[in-house]
Amino acid sequence: MKLMKFAAIGLALALTGCAATGPKFAEAESAAPALKADQGRVYFYRNASMLGAALKPAIQLDGIEVGNSHQGGYFYVDTYAGSHVAQTSTETTNKVSFVLDKGETKYVKTSVSMGLMVGHVVPELVGADQARKDLSELSYTGAKAAK
Amino acid sequence: MLAGCASVQHVPVAISPATGHAALVPKSIASEVIVPLATGYQRKLPAGSFWTMAGTIPQGTVYRRHRDVFTLEGAHVHEAYLVVEQGRLVGFYLPAESGFSPQQPSLPITLQE
Repeated sequence: MKLMKFAAIGLALALTGCAATGPKFAEAESAAPALKADQGRVYFYRNASMLGAALKPAIQLDGIEVGNSHQGGYFYVDTYAGSHVAQTSTETTNKVSFVLDKGETKYVKTSVSMGLMVGHVVPELVGADQARKDLSELSYTGAKAAK
Repeated sequence: MLAGCASVQHVPVAISPATGHAALVPKSIASEVIVPLATGYQRKLPAGSFWTMAGTIPQGTVYRRHRDVFTLEGAHVHEAYLVVEQGRLVGFYLPAESGFSPQQPSLPITLQE
């Protein structure tokens, strides 16, 4: 019984350690820089679902690593207007292609799905209304690079 | 299962961007359209959803989801616009790829102002 308790506590701690811990969206947004005139902004986020919490694959935008998919986390990248491809890889690579206009904001949600050996982290485009609702509960993790 | 992993097939196409009034006034879909995709996935075009004319391609008139996004899913996910010709959904324009993905068979669709 004691062993079960320790295991449960250990699991809880381990999963808590997987969640993003940066400032919440409302706080981080107030400090976000203005968008340059010739660029658009792409938000990447992942809801706080515990499924696959330990998975934190890199997210690439046009082949360049820009951050990681963290449970409960988000970040954004400002980039040029035009065509883009975002992708994540675990045991498979999943991509989403989209266009970004000048001054436009797009939202890429990553979600964990079941895989053969390892879960897949799948990116998808999400509308602004849904994305802003989701983001309100998430923590800023920071982008690794921005173009 | 395997069909769900199929790629979204498309051919290169050039779009003539819409200008003027048509590009500004969104149209709504009169009644829901269920689209079975060749990849094995399905997409629903909700009644009352708004679409704005993005331009024309040789296959028809291109409509972009108004203040929202629409995607096709196969092995990967692609942002997509509708292509409508003579009251039928004949396929999709993939803006990132500048490609046309045909819908076979085409489906009746009514867009109204």
